Amino acid sequence: MTNHKPFVEIDYTQINKKNQLVCGDAFLSKKIKSDKRVISVLSDGLGSGVKANVLSGMTATMALNYMVHNYDLKKTARAIMQTLPVCSVRKISYATFTIVDVDHNGFVNLIEYGNPVALIIRNGKRIVPDRHQYELNKMDQLHDKMYYSQFQAELHDRIILMSDGITQSGLGPKLYPFGWGDENVSNYVCDIVAKNPSVSARYLSKLICDKALENDNKTPYDDTSCGVISFREPRETLLISGPPIYRENDAAMADAFRSFKGKKIICGGTTANIIARETNEKIKVDLQNYDKDIPTTSIMNGVDLITEGSITLGKVLQLLEDGTNPETLPRHGAALLIDHLLNSDKIHFLIGTKINEAHQDPNVPVELEIRRSLVKQIIRLLEDKYLKETELKFI
Amino acid sequence: MKEKIKVIICTGTHCFVMGGSDLLLLEENLPEHLKENIMIEGNSCLGYCEDRSKGKAPFVEIDGYLLDQATIPKILNYIEELTNRTDR
Repeated sequence: MTNHKPFVEIDYTQINKKNQLVCGDAFLSKKIKSDKRVISVLSDGLGSGVKANVLSGMTATMALNYMVHNYDLKKTARAIMQTLPVCSVRKISYATFTIVDVDHNGFVNLIEYGNPVALIIRNGKRIVPDRHQYELNKMDQLHDKMYYSQFQAELHDRIILMSDGITQSGLGPKLYPFGWGDENVSNYVCDIVAKNPSVSARYLSKLICDKALENDNKTPYDDTSCGVISFREPRETLLISGPPIYRENDAAMADAFRSFKGKKIICGGTTANIIARETNEKIKVDLQNYDKDIPTTSIMNGVDLITEGSITLGKVLQLLEDGTNPETLPRHGAALLIDHLLNSDKIHFLIGTKINEAHQDPNVPVELEIRRSLVKQIIRLLEDKYLKETELKFI
Repeated sequence: MKEKIKVIICTGTHCFVMGGSDLLLLEENLPEHLKENIMIEGNSCLGYCEDRSKGKAPFVEIDGYLLDQATIPKILNYIEELTNRTDR
């Protein structure tokens, strides 16, 4: 164990109800850099499809923003209920929500309204903090109680948020008369964590959704969402890309690379050559990994991933922007790079600013963006959308 | 035993966008009689794109000979030429 404060890693997986193009659940998170605070909201909208998507999206957005501004909880709940459009069939406006608010010391405030109870897993077991009940009177809602609990998170704790698509999966006399249920989900999570103590939030949420889908014979009868908040030792990654502007800085770049403790990534052929030369290692291009759009990756001792530079980084930017699930992609350099980035908590970018003039040739058939600008855009996305910490240095 | 002919394909950015991506399919395009004699390797960047006197991308090295504006037919032609030389 290190002296690092736990890093709060958040990720989620969603499966749409069958025949629906959009998910009726919403999972949103926001990192407030100035207070080192993180807030996540899971909301399940009434019904399914676009209507539910709008309800849950509005609910999650409102809850998140009220929390950011430390608005009173009951007032927040009331404001949400009064704002949501009323369903023409059931004559109510309704969406559930669970809010997790983690402060800079890892102290957690948990607010639950209508969703399956959030699971808190510590040392391979489920813990249940005291829950305080709030009555939401005269609001004519399906649920009239909101629950509030607090606890101090510890390293390796995990909080699992679920929509009822998870807990009610497998509902039926054969498998689970009352659905999979929170106890079974909890046991399932404890099993996974026992086998793989460092399982990422992203992968754990995927395993839970996959299991729910399996419970229903691969047909999702409801929107299914699982968010995982994991307190772990920060995973650090160094990404270097681009030759230093002056050749005499090559050695400094190689030194920074060599001495870094964590995962190491090189993006760029010339950059890889510089590191190979300075560290007396050999590069082997992996020609098996052919893709017509993304150049192949390479292998070198002591490096976790070597990709080509501008095309790969350009693709990474586009994929991060689109929010594409990297598991759906062929295993080309950009997909492998995204895997590494999303599995990291803090990413150090060391960027050489020398420009390859050949890239500026007007005959080049694709537009190659300047590395510095590409990296800045990637960093913005990693921070805002994927809640990563980053550090950028030019050399 | 005959020594294999070594083909090094540059997989750097500039070569890749200038047509080098197709060259990586060279192995599939080798005629039967050459298959046993050729060793194909990639290089993360041969660095020729920064020196205009070396010609135009994509670049390939065949037993140390630099071929610019490489295409699969051009590579095969040069390999045939090499294999036809008496001492190979």
